[in-house]
Amino acid sequence: MIVASRLTKRYGERLAVDSVSFTVRPGRVTGFLGPNGAGKSTTMRMVIGLDRPTSGTVTVDGARYADSPAPLRAVGALLEARALHPGRTARAHLRWMAASNAIPRARVEEVLGLVGLEAVADQRVGRFSLGMGQRLGIAAALLGDPPVVVLDEPVNGLDPEGIRWVRTLARDLAAEGRTVLVSSHLMAEMALTADHLVVIGRGRVLADCSTAEFIAEHAASFVTVRTPQPAQLAELLRRSGADVTCDGDELRVQGADTVTTGELAAGAGVVLHELGLVTSSLEEAFMTLTAGSVEYAAARPAEVTR
Amino acid sequence: MTAPVLTPPRAAAAPSGGAGLSRAVRAEWIKLWSVRSTGWSVAAMVALGAGLTTLVCALVARDLADGQTGEPVGAFITWGLVFAQVTAVVLGALTVTSEYGTGMIRATLAATPRRGTVLAAKALVLTATLFVAGVVTAFLGWLGGNAFLSAEGIGIGLGDDGMVRSLLGSGLYMAGLGLFAMAAGLLLRSTAAVVSVVLALVFLVGNLVMLLPGALGEWLTKLMPGNAGSRIAAPETFNPVLLEPWTGFAVFAAEVAVLLAVAAVVFTRRDA
Repeated sequence: MIVASRLTKRYGERLAVDSVSFTVRPGRVTGFLGPNGAGKSTTMRMVIGLDRPTSGTVTVDGARYADSPAPLRAVGALLEARALHPGRTARAHLRWMAASNAIPRARVEEVLGLVGLEAVADQRVGRFSLGMGQRLGIAAALLGDPPVVVLDEPVNGLDPEGIRWVRTLARDLAAEGRTVLVSSHLMAEMALTADHLVVIGRGRVLADCSTAEFIAEHAASFVTVRTPQPAQLAELLRRSGADVTCDGDELRVQGADTVTTGELAAGAGVVLHELGLVTSSLEEAFMTLTAGSVEYAAARPAEVTR
Repeated sequence: MTAPVLTPPRAAAAPSGGAGLSRAVRAEWIKLWSVRSTGWSVAAMVALGAGLTTLVCALVARDLADGQTGEPVGAFITWGLVFAQVTAVVLGALTVTSEYGTGMIRATLAATPRRGTVLAAKALVLTATLFVAGVVTAFLGWLGGNAFLSAEGIGIGLGDDGMVRSLLGSGLYMAGLGLFAMAAGLLLRSTAAVVSVVLALVFLVGNLVMLLPGALGEWLTKLMPGNAGSRIAAPETFNPVLLEPWTGFAVFAAEVAVLLAVAAVVFTRRDA
């Protein structure tokens, strides 16, 4: 379990992370979602003690990362695929990491197999593609067989098969009871991978809820109707409990589906020229949410600082 | 892609295999020897150091034997180290600057969050490597160079005054210089910057201060790191102003220690 409490990081004048509180629970994939520059990476760096918080704390299973006697066995992290020396082989990279945390050498071979890099284990990583580097980074994260796994933008540079593989891996790790935190700036990817979402924008938590809740709340859909009798239809719909906005001969209806709308119109003899359903994508919802992050943060303080 | 085969999670097991420092030392040792630059640096040190000592002895042996040069024979027997020390600076710098240059430092600090432990492990591994390389270089140079000197009847035996001290001193000086460059690397974080600054300090500034007038010039000459530290690596010296071998090395060691301490403070406080 990762617990961040009023975590704040200031770089000079810029507040990169602003009093962020959230809990990442075991047994599910928590998506850490936000546009580039929202503070995701900074937060994740603070989780593993690379950056020192300006104020606030973050603990992993109740302890500070830096206090762990063998941190790679407590938390596995993929922070940057390119945190590698280009002149070192993949195997040597994993070997020094294993040595630093008293992880048996056999585990190096195990994770190489796990990410599918056995064949290139003795190649220098400078020749690796972005995707291979990413796989090596994931191998390094899993090296200590940690109960907590933190992956920063793990699908960057991966091909579709690789993306599916990461998604499955994250879900399997969570199914084994591990705590899994995966960051991404891609809403669609998170919708497929994460059970729970922590959405961050301009350094503040904008939403902390299950993915299903987030979709229900933010991916709004509405019915559009064009009719020569807009006032009459609007009245009918409102009486049935729907929200209606008029724009000339076009109505936007929320709270009634296309079937209800059509039947109401037919029952009253209202002529319809057009009847349709518009669903705003999750991606759009996410853009809207993060673009207006200041208002949202102010409007939902209870959720932010819980 | 194979399905993940992971054992169920558990609380982090108490790691076997000793204290944090010994694990960090093992990790740094693997790191050091799993990049090509280390092998090249050490090979270059031995080739330059032993090769140039042998060459210069071959060239000057006759003149020295004639007594025409007025130069002390013992100043030539480890002469190649003047150039070999460049490789110690490069290796020392690379142990940290290559990590900052590639972003590796984050992986290092994620694996070993205690920065003092990381620094100590790096220093130990670098010191051991450079000490052995320095002694081997000086010894091979003595073997090669002394063959020519002996042929002219002016050979220096291992039993002669200061010779063994010079061989061990070559290792000590190389290790010290490497640590100096490593500390500079933590402060500057760029290979090019460290190598230029440290070499300029040792070669350029160390010689230019001799031109300053009076006691000031004399003392600065004595105290400059390269001048103070390298005297221990030769039985005799071309420059009579220099401090005595062990006195000079003590001054050099203090300078290295101060720079390392500053670097340690900066390294501990700074975000990775």
